Amino acid sequence: MNGNQAGTLVLEDVSKIFPQREGQGEVRAVDRVSLTIPPGEFLTLLGPSGCGKTTTLRLISGFEMPSSGRILLDDKDISHRPPNKRDMAMVFQSYALFPHMTVFNNVAYGLRAHHVSRGEIRQRVERVLDLMGLKGLGERRPHEMSGGQQQRVALARSLVVEPRVLLFDEPLSNLDAKLRVQMRSEIRNLQRRLHITSVYVTHDQVEAMALSDRIVVMNEGQIEQMGAPEEIYRRPISRFVADFIGRANFLPATVCAVEGEQIAIDLLGQRTTATASFTPRLGDSVAVVLRPEGLQLRPDPDLPQVTVEQAMYLGTSIEYFVRLGDERLIVVETDPRTERIFHEGQSLGLTFIPETAHILPAG
Amino acid sequence: MKKPALLLTVLILAALALPVISPAAQAQDDTLTVLCTPQEDWCVAMTQAFQEETGIETSYVRMSSGESLARIRATQSDPEFSVWWGGPADAFIAASAEGLLEPYEPELASVLPAEAVGEDHAWHGVYIGALGFCSNVEVLDELGVEAPTSWEDLLDPAFEGNIAMAHPATSGTAFTAFWSVVTLKADELEAAEEGTGYDEDGAPTEAAIDAAFEYFSQLHQNILQYTRSGSAPGQMAGNSEIAVAIIFSHDCVKLQEEGFAELLVGTFPEEGTGYEIGGMALIANAPEPDAAKQWIEWALTPEAQAIAQTVNSLQLPTNPDTPVSELSVNLSEVNLVDYNFPAAGENRTEIVERFDMEIAPQPTE
Amino acid sequence: MKVQRLSQIAPSIRLTRNRHIAEFWRIFQDPLLFVGLVLVVLFVGITIIAPIVAMVQESRTEQGQELFENYLGSPVYRTIIQNTMEMGLLVAAAGTALGFLLAYVQVKVDVPFKRLMHIIALVPVIAPPFAVATATLLLFGRNGMISRGIFGVRYDIYGLDGLTLVLTLSYFTVAYMNLRGMMMALDPALDEAATNLGASRWRIFRSVTVPMLIPGIAGSFLLLFVEAIADLGNPLVMGGNYEVLSTRIYVSIVGLYNTTAAAVLSVILLVPSLLVFVVQRYWISRTSVVSVTGKPSGTPHMHRHPLIRWPLFAVAMFVTLFVIMIYGTIFAGSFTKILNVNNELTLEHFDFVINGYGSEAMKDTTQLSIIATPIAGVLGMLIAFLVARKKFLGRNALDFATMLGIAVPGTILGIGYLLVFNEPSEITLPLIGTVTVLPKLTGGRALLGGAAAIVLVYIVRSVPAALRSGVAALSQIDPSLEEASISLGEDNFGTFRRVTLPLIRPAFLSGLIYAFARSMTTISAIIFLTTPRTKIMTQQILNEVENGRYGNAFAYCVILILIVLVAIGILAVAVGTSSGAEKTMEGGA
Repeated sequence: MNGNQAGTLVLEDVSKIFPQREGQGEVRAVDRVSLTIPPGEFLTLLGPSGCGKTTTLRLISGFEMPSSGRILLDDKDISHRPPNKRDMAMVFQSYALFPHMTVFNNVAYGLRAHHVSRGEIRQRVERVLDLMGLKGLGERRPHEMSGGQQQRVALARSLVVEPRVLLFDEPLSNLDAKLRVQMRSEIRNLQRRLHITSVYVTHDQVEAMALSDRIVVMNEGQIEQMGAPEEIYRRPISRFVADFIGRANFLPATVCAVEGEQIAIDLLGQRTTATASFTPRLGDSVAVVLRPEGLQLRPDPDLPQVTVEQAMYLGTSIEYFVRLGDERLIVVETDPRTERIFHEGQSLGLTFIPETAHILPAG
Repeated sequence: MKKPALLLTVLILAALALPVISPAAQAQDDTLTVLCTPQEDWCVAMTQAFQEETGIETSYVRMSSGESLARIRATQSDPEFSVWWGGPADAFIAASAEGLLEPYEPELASVLPAEAVGEDHAWHGVYIGALGFCSNVEVLDELGVEAPTSWEDLLDPAFEGNIAMAHPATSGTAFTAFWSVVTLKADELEAAEEGTGYDEDGAPTEAAIDAAFEYFSQLHQNILQYTRSGSAPGQMAGNSEIAVAIIFSHDCVKLQEEGFAELLVGTFPEEGTGYEIGGMALIANAPEPDAAKQWIEWALTPEAQAIAQTVNSLQLPTNPDTPVSELSVNLSEVNLVDYNFPAAGENRTEIVERFDMEIAPQPTE
Repeated sequence: MKVQRLSQIAPSIRLTRNRHIAEFWRIFQDPLLFVGLVLVVLFVGITIIAPIVAMVQESRTEQGQELFENYLGSPVYRTIIQNTMEMGLLVAAAGTALGFLLAYVQVKVDVPFKRLMHIIALVPVIAPPFAVATATLLLFGRNGMISRGIFGVRYDIYGLDGLTLVLTLSYFTVAYMNLRGMMMALDPALDEAATNLGASRWRIFRSVTVPMLIPGIAGSFLLLFVEAIADLGNPLVMGGNYEVLSTRIYVSIVGLYNTTAAAVLSVILLVPSLLVFVVQRYWISRTSVVSVTGKPSGTPHMHRHPLIRWPLFAVAMFVTLFVIMIYGTIFAGSFTKILNVNNELTLEHFDFVINGYGSEAMKDTTQLSIIATPIAGVLGMLIAFLVARKKFLGRNALDFATMLGIAVPGTILGIGYLLVFNEPSEITLPLIGTVTVLPKLTGGRALLGGAAAIVLVYIVRSVPAALRSGVAALSQIDPSLEEASISLGEDNFGTFRRVTLPLIRPAFLSGLIYAFARSMTTISAIIFLTTPRTKIMTQQILNEVENGRYGNAFAYCVILILIVLVAIGILAVAVGTSSGAEKTMEGGA
């Protein structure tokens, strides 16, 4: 399958400016984005709507032209190459299956566009249908299939042309929750197997983490942070990232010692070490990111006291919203052995798992 | 699949389309395009006969004479017609004055009456007809009036909205009617005071023309509609839409012959009526001059002139050798005005423009 | 969040220009798309814009200015302008009311014979001009078979009343289609909600239905107004002494060949037409509250109350029978010697049209329409594709200019053609010398005997409808389908051919059918362009009607309707839409 080689994709200082709908101004949808995607990597562009992730994908695909900057594929500048000559294939949110063609013809579409011989088309289409578990459905029409099957056809149609880069524009958002989880792992497996460079756009952080080798978090057209899923989750560089990826509590603290990588802070009355994505100085006020599962509630009067405002039993975990002075914090108890459930209105001590603290500049 | 079907259809349609394109670019003199002013069936009969006689592929377009004049004028740099056949001579005189015609003297010119030969042989007469009133007896009964026998009768308020004539701008018939009244008014003025009706050259004066305008603006109150074609009001009378049509008497007879015999009656104004000499001319810079000359020679022959009767066009032929139908009007029994063709031709353009500005668009009460 | 950074506005304005250049560069990179765009722009510029501009320029010459003042100063011409407006308003009001009534009965009232009423309401789309007026004269004229034959009245139908009647009957279909579409798209949930809140039927009609339809009503009113003031055929036949601008323009050309006067009068006619067009385009379409494409979320409630049902049925049925009677008269008239005078049956009129001298017009018209139809259809889809899918400077201008082809009265277009194409268009280039860009297109010795100009007019008059139905169809199609195609390696042209065109096939078909029907029945735009070599059926019908040979005229009408119906059938089969011709006729209306 993986006929074309390589697939190193590079974005160099790429910007995209749109005129504003009303008035004179303009909008920087993508603002000086630089990226290097090595062959075979699965990279996800993640961010809230309007953050520029879709525009970035469309710049890569060629449906939009960059206002400035360059896009390179295997060292060739393709910034102004029309989308049909880019050797990439896109999977759309709406699947974009051609309603007037059978499944077979949908999948064969790209091959015909490339003037592949009849026999080879048949062979390759059959093979990819097989691979996608669509054997025997070639003569169906798209509207006669379920959402999941349609999504597989869309994927098959893109895979069969053996692109150097696969592009995904929120392909799972129209599926129901269960199917989404299933398709997610199928895409993951397939991509690993075929080793095609992939760029995936989503606003669903769980999906992003499940699929990606690397995640690019975007905000207001710029790259906020880039890294492996666990790195982004554990060591966000900003409040925005911490908030967007998973849920986060922010607590104020003071830096009391800096020794190389080791940073010590005072938090909730304890001294603890924390990781940081910047270099703080002694005495700095910082914000500590604590994930809900890093916080714990204990009936211990020596600890700082919080009041339970809301308690929800979710099966795999128990969620509490607690009040600490002015702050409302979220605490998730995940220990399956826990049988005790605290009640709303109860006063409890708050503590944390020391290794999970991560600090950001205050403010 | 469906795609080939579509392609095929387009191809078939394209093939169908071809014949329209090809004949347009043919050489000149095996074809002839006639600008034909009389009634359509006469045009058909004439062109068919000519085509049979000469083998020249002949087509015609029928236009009323005012329309014809306008069209020739508009296309003078590159005329689309070679010969203009039929319609009152006034329009031919006007056209000749503007250099739109090319003089040509046919062999049979000598047998024609003098008034049927234009100055310098710019045009020749092919038929003669007198203007009259064509009335529907049923409608007259209903209105409680007699068939009009004078121009004055037409002003009777009883006729309100029950008279039709053509628009002088498009129709030679209507212009003939107008000029007839001009002539009558000139006579009246002349009778009252010498020199006021006619100028030294014998042409009606401005005052006479003004008086005619005065008459038509009164008549306007009784007019239902100004048609484009001169003979059309006759049909309206036949269909009982109106009581009186101001048309050439031969057009009235034609209608009587074609099914309206009991319904229509022809009368002439006793003060005097105008008449037309139907003209024929070679158009300047004609694209098919040789064929056109052949037509002109042929159209003056008794055989060609006799075709008229076969389609109930009962104008009087100009070639005295042509047998005359007994249904044709006997001009000696009609009071004809002294129709000054050259003056009519000269004043034509000015009059029709003035008519179009002052009279035709007027609202009626 | 697309945030605008103030400090960057200044440099980014420069970037905007670059962006436009980049967009052009992209179109240029796709040669077929580029060529398509250039061709379309050239076509629209030469065949629509140039004639209109020439006409306006002609009216602004010194002589034109003088005439202008004369006309506006003359009470007679003020009356004519007043007449034109009065007639336009009356027809617009009557036609909209009639269209509304029939649409309401069709959508909201439970009555029998709905299907028949619907088909009859569509018939005027394919009816040739003069047919209705002539038949009406025969039925209700002074010697009308009904007015006089049955009621014994010598009714004077010439003038405003007759004109209003025939124009309303000729154009109400526009309002009917418009309002029927909107009523069907009205969400029945609104009715249900109103009923739920305790509103009576009448209250719902007054406070929900009508207000929701206001844009449709206003739009229909304006369209009918423009159609009515632009109409030439009907005032020629039954205007009587009720003079309107279009007949004055006609006399200025055919009687006097005074193009300046015609241009001046045309400009006077053009002003309200353009005004209406702009209002329609920029105001009505924006204030529309009904999404016509929206799927209603239930079945509409039908009126069943006998006091509502039967009176409405009676009125709608009366109108339907009236229209049937008109067309029946045409049919009967084509088989009788002189209907109402000599009712002997005969085939001589058909012999004249099919075998006789009249056959030339029939063949020429059909051939020219056949040439114009596919060009108009493809051009309409191509412009729709460019306008709806591609970004380039002047996209809106292109749409607007194309729509002008139908927004301006036909006579105006015809005069523009006379002014622009009466001489060959030449440009002088250095070194090469004078080059003929376009040969002479009008007048007798014009290219292809003037057929080229007529075909151009046919196309220009048909493309707007194809464009609109194409744009409507494209707006229903997810752009990602086309992007998917391109992303799979297909180029723009291939995408248009393999994906877009098949998906908008019904719109394409309706574009073709409309183009054919429009070409076959158009009169005002080509009446000044016919030449000895090209005879056009509608023009011949006018000749026959004017000279009272109604039999021939009716035979022409019957043949013309037959040709159009056969063509609709063939097109439906060839383009392969099973949805049938009727549906596409709706699109075309």
